[in-house]
Amino acid sequence: MLSYFSNPQRFDQLARTLIPIFAVLALGLLAVGVYLSFFASPPDYQQGETIRIMYVHVPAAYMAMALYAALAAASFVYFVWRHALADAAAEVIAPIGAVFTVLALFTGSLWGKPMWGAWWEWDARMTSVLVLLLVYLGYMALRAALEDAQQAARTGAILAMAGIINLVIVKFSVDWWSSLHQPASVIRLDGPTIHSSQLWPLAIMALGYSFLAGWLILYRLRSQALRRRVRTLQRQREQAARAREEAVS
Amino acid sequence: MSALRAIFMREARLAWAGGGGAAGPTAFFLAAITLAPLAIGPAADLLSAVGPGIMGFAALLSVLQSADRLFGDDHGDGTAELYLLSGVSPAWLVLAKVTGQALATLWPLPVIGCLGAMMYGVPVQPALMGALALLAAIPALSLIAGFAGALAAGIRRSGLLIALIATPMMVPVLIFAAGAGRSAFEGDERALANLLLTAAVSLGTIALAPFGIAAAIRSRLG
Repeated sequence: MLSYFSNPQRFDQLARTLIPIFAVLALGLLAVGVYLSFFASPPDYQQGETIRIMYVHVPAAYMAMALYAALAAASFVYFVWRHALADAAAEVIAPIGAVFTVLALFTGSLWGKPMWGAWWEWDARMTSVLVLLLVYLGYMALRAALEDAQQAARTGAILAMAGIINLVIVKFSVDWWSSLHQPASVIRLDGPTIHSSQLWPLAIMALGYSFLAGWLILYRLRSQALRRRVRTLQRQREQAARAREEAVS
Repeated sequence: MSALRAIFMREARLAWAGGGGAAGPTAFFLAAITLAPLAIGPAADLLSAVGPGIMGFAALLSVLQSADRLFGDDHGDGTAELYLLSGVSPAWLVLAKVTGQALATLWPLPVIGCLGAMMYGVPVQPALMGALALLAAIPALSLIAGFAGALAAGIRRSGLLIALIATPMMVPVLIFAAGAGRSAFEGDERALANLLLTAAVSLGTIALAPFGIAAAIRSRLG
């Protein structure tokens, strides 16, 4: 199946059908999710209205991590089978994942202020998400610095794959690190298990975010392929013009 | 084996003679730990509390400071191609290279780390523990710096890029190495565990990073 859709034309057809479907699903689910989480769900018995930040924050954090996994998987596929499409996907996923990471950090900090009394806590989870953002930025900076497209693809793939090993160790070490000093008397986020009146809006928002990411990725993949084609056509036209000039002279 | 030894000696000699040897990282380390108290303030109890952490942090920065030289020159003058053509296993080759460079340039780090911690008012025993942890951290730090350096070899102003790539990868080893000194200072029995974890990260990096560096070098040759 992988090689079936790595044919650019087939992929283009697939993307063309999927893009509107994903767009409708993403917008619909997000609309329903926003309504449910901001108006139809009850305030939390402990956190009050601020619990509504969770419906924006948790799916963003989930997307930040899921997209890095996708980036590493695409890099692996490119590194092993040299599918150009996998590399294009990796290139496209990185900025989207970085934006979700920033969103997760930002909303987390907005949530942290009323809950913990501080915009930022150096707790294990926040610190590893911050490290994840650095990993995204490093990946994008490396690709941007390499002018040769093939070098950028291969080098980026190696970095992305090393990054996923690293993130696992970072998770462990940061847990160890933040357990070194006694945790402050913060309200634990993982208190009682989540109630179904909160789980539903959260699940719908997470699905909406997923389709939004899928939509953006496919859209950017298509526009990138188009850009590449335009560039090829321009080059062909220039060459033809030059050949004509030479023929005239 | 003799090829590996030749590469090791070449790196060590080059770093010693051409690159100023340990002078670069040493000077950087000294400058960093001199400036930190000026920024933090001279309060003795505060300085002794942050001392072990600052030592780990400054050591990390001084390793990063020279990371662009390791593979940048080889990429520029074609040595990297010759390495890959030489028939020596590239993973062993880069390991010999990084070890040669690290031994020639980074050996003062534990010494300065120990002396610096004592200048910050840390007692002798935790200062020694911190220095030991720095020693255990050097393989991981230099290999990670080498990995980032190999990825960014030959890029103009690669230092910034190397720092951005290597920083997230150095998080675990920094946590454990600085944690060893810190928990020794606090009288926590986890100091030894931290030291062992630092060594574990270093061993894991020795096992994995050479393959990563070799792949990075190959990918940059197109």
